[in-house]
Amino acid sequence: MTHPPRLADRLLEWFCDPYLLEDLQGDLHEIYDAKSREGKKQASLLYWWLVIRSFRWSALKKNKKLKKSGLMITKNNFKIALRVLWRDKFNSAVNLIGLTIGITCFLLLGFYVKQEMSYDQFHSKKDRIYRSWLKEDYGEGQIFFNSQTPLRFEALFEENFPEVEKAVQYIEQTYLVGKGENRINERVAIISADFFDVFDFTMLEGNIDNPLPTRNDVVLSQTYAKKYFGENDPIGKVLTLQQGQDSREFNVAGIYQDIPKTSSIQFDIAFSTENSRDLFGERAFRAWFNVVAETYVLLKENAHVDAVNGKMQDVVLELMGDVGYGDGPMQRDQYNIGLQALTDIHLDPDIPLGYAPVANPQYVYILGGIALLVLIIACINYTTLSTGQSLNRSKEVGMRKVLGARKAGLIYQYLSESILLCMVAMLIGAIISYLLIPVFNALTGTEIFLQFEWWHLIIYFLMAVLIGTIAGSYPALILSGFKTINILRGGNQSTGNLTTRKGMVVLQFLITVFLITTTLIMRKQLQYLQDKDLGFNYKAVVSTNLQADPSAQRLSEIISTGMENGELLKARLEKYPEISNVAMGTHVFGTSGWANLAYTDDNGIFRWFRMLAVDANYIEAFGINIIEGRAFEAENGLDQRQSIILNETAVKHFNLENPIGGKLPGSEFGDHQIIGVTEDFHFTSLHSEVEPLVIVQNIIPIATGVSDADFVDTITPKLVFTYSGSNLLEATEILKKEWESLFPNESWNFNFLDEQIKSQYESEIRMNKLIAIATFLSILIAALGLLGLSLLVVNSKIKEIGIRKVMGASPISIFRLLAKDFSIQILIAITLSVPITLWMMNSWLENFAYRTEIGVGLFVVSGLASIIVATMVISYHTIRAARVNPVESLRTE
Amino acid sequence: MKGEHLGELEELVLLTVGSLVSEAYAVIIVEEIKNNTNRKMDVTAIHSVLRRLEKKGFVSSEMGGASQERGGRRKRFFTLTKAGRRVLDQSMELRYSLYQKLPKLTFATLR
Repeated sequence: MTHPPRLADRLLEWFCDPYLLEDLQGDLHEIYDAKSREGKKQASLLYWWLVIRSFRWSALKKNKKLKKSGLMITKNNFKIALRVLWRDKFNSAVNLIGLTIGITCFLLLGFYVKQEMSYDQFHSKKDRIYRSWLKEDYGEGQIFFNSQTPLRFEALFEENFPEVEKAVQYIEQTYLVGKGENRINERVAIISADFFDVFDFTMLEGNIDNPLPTRNDVVLSQTYAKKYFGENDPIGKVLTLQQGQDSREFNVAGIYQDIPKTSSIQFDIAFSTENSRDLFGERAFRAWFNVVAETYVLLKENAHVDAVNGKMQDVVLELMGDVGYGDGPMQRDQYNIGLQALTDIHLDPDIPLGYAPVANPQYVYILGGIALLVLIIACINYTTLSTGQSLNRSKEVGMRKVLGARKAGLIYQYLSESILLCMVAMLIGAIISYLLIPVFNALTGTEIFLQFEWWHLIIYFLMAVLIGTIAGSYPALILSGFKTINILRGGNQSTGNLTTRKGMVVLQFLITVFLITTTLIMRKQLQYLQDKDLGFNYKAVVSTNLQADPSAQRLSEIISTGMENGELLKARLEKYPEISNVAMGTHVFGTSGWANLAYTDDNGIFRWFRMLAVDANYIEAFGINIIEGRAFEAENGLDQRQSIILNETAVKHFNLENPIGGKLPGSEFGDHQIIGVTEDFHFTSLHSEVEPLVIVQNIIPIATGVSDADFVDTITPKLVFTYSGSNLLEATEILKKEWESLFPNESWNFNFLDEQIKSQYESEIRMNKLIAIATFLSILIAALGLLGLSLLVVNSKIKEIGIRKVMGASPISIFRLLAKDFSIQILIAITLSVPITLWMMNSWLENFAYRTEIGVGLFVVSGLASIIVATMVISYHTIRAARVNPVESLRTE
Repeated sequence: MKGEHLGELEELVLLTVGSLVSEAYAVIIVEEIKNNTNRKMDVTAIHSVLRRLEKKGFVSSEMGGASQERGGRRKRFFTLTKAGRRVLDQSMELRYSLYQKLPKLTFATLR
């Protein structure tokens, strides 16, 4: 006869109530015996199954062991905690509200921080994917650093590095998509055919294993499939893209799931890099200096990125042979190729921007820090309040101790209270935060798109336990440390080290005052940025991007054909009386990355400068001041051919003593002449200083003299005009009407210049709003804490106040008595906050080339504000206490 | 009171206990239910129901004599108590009286 599994038997014996064990086990054995005729294994499995199923509450041992175990104690503790919290409703409410606000603020900011940190984390091979960068360094500031790389890099990685499993490229281009009048300018991605093997973008329809089988295929995101084909099945349909002069018909081969917002790589239409030869020319594949594509490298499972970096220079030098920059072949460490981990892209400010937008890690960390600070304030609130309150519970502690409670048990008991409170606060806080996300997004301009998932509950639960433990540990230690004999004798208890408690109040106020001052200083700086005279007019200026002739290849052609189109539009627009100052230029204000050119001057110094090509109206239209010489004259042939205008910085940059009539110090330039100097105007954001700028009408004389160029902003001309009517939207209507009758095939567009300029400080403005919210909440929490604390102080001094009143003290002197403590603490907090704020804010202000003075005023304002809030909060209870009839307070004994 | 209520499974087990007179123990009850209703029950569920019924006072239990089977472990036999009998009677009465109120079978309602 076989025996059922012994382990299962022992398990059953362990948990089962002995009273029930014998017959239950007997029954199970009987079933096992019957089953074992069919097979021993099945019977054993069944037996296990039945033992596990027997684990029911009604069958468990209800002996002392269970009752003493943590489970029962916890249940008991929480029951008592609930009663205690219920009994003192005022304090519990203050604590609960404080914690809830703190947790809500922490969660909301935490969502934001978490989201910023979670970019590109969803790829299953994320640890092996790197983006390559190229840094050419020829000394003397001749540095070219790019995240876009030459087209040949894909082959370079795949052929020369056995560690590399695959290299893929990603290029973004703008094409007109669609047919006829409904064409839309879209960013289109050009990706390697095996792109989807490296990244986890999910193909939904079409050829899932090989999404882009031929060069004539495109894949679309779900959203774009809907946008272009509605509800119809797009697979096999035709999508037309205007490439140069040709309009090419692509076959829709697949649909992929919309790319998550936490992806650095964002595209909605993509076709294969098989087309690159046609698009960029054969030469682009041999070029070393023509940066076009982002190259992503997937390393093999066990390969290390250092191995690739280690032999990079050898490979580069061997491949380049006698290709060099300037004279002679490339030297070691001049042409550097590096790899950046995919997951670092979003928050790494050291590597230049590729196609993907990045965030400022400093802001993310600051916000994370502020989230923590607010939470700390809330925890301190709880700690100080419960410690202050602990005196009332000394009898309870004494009783428990007499009856044999141990210290650990007491600590556990009091921690249960804080944890219970935190759970409730977390529950409310989490629900509020989820509900508040849309409001928060609208208010701060963030884009939080958190999806709730069930496993988040575990995180919240753990967080509540952690916060509860931190907040409750100090009062629990104090309470459990009471001496039994003192309590029963009726003596006074030490409610903890008084300095510790005062210290916590100081810390709380310190954080609050720090946040207030920070908000004010940031606001002042932002105001300064917005009010600063930029050196040109941009109120009510509308800009629109012109179209160059699709066949134009050279820069000068792109500019001239764009301007020709602009002239047509200009002639129409000038007919409207409310439109004035129509002008054109290759760049407008509020965009970064104006054409950046470089050359080696007569003295062998490598020089960068910015170039702006304009029509004759531009300088006047923007009201830019000329301080020497003159501006361009309309219809002046010489001006159109060769006149140039510098800004002040450029004059200094090129060391020109008498700029008017002179030339730029370089031998390769074509015929040109400096006719004027403008006052410096801030064509880039105020983060950076004014750079040397050369303004031309004809770029050819300058372009022939430069050796390097960098165009981040497109050089295709833009047209600007000032609208003097009352409603700016009407201006866009006029623009739309004229544009559509002139260029029926192009999509019209417009920008308001003031908005564009303001958007340069978007992340700072958002940051300021976020901190302002955190500040408001922290003031609220601190005020709540003070409210509770002042009540406790008043209660503990109720007799003293009574006696003083009997002796003839005035209400004011009693108020002073009560407020004295707090005011000292607040003053200490304000004083301490000054150096911390100064240090933090100075390092923040270093982000800006132009910054406001911090000044004493703001510290005074925030100090006063906190004192006023504190006084108001304290007065409520103290005034009540001071006015109470001493008979009332002295009678009770 | 909650304890007075008799669930569907409880009622089934109670009836089975009653019908088995003095031979009712968990394994037999499982088989009996399977034979009568073709419902496959888990013996642990029956144990749980029996414990509940005993707590409500509808059945009483007593250990049987030792035997060589089942590894020498005794069986626990359940018998229907008076209270159990009463609650079954009530339940039957209720059902019967409700059943009486059903309209007589007609072809019209069958359709």
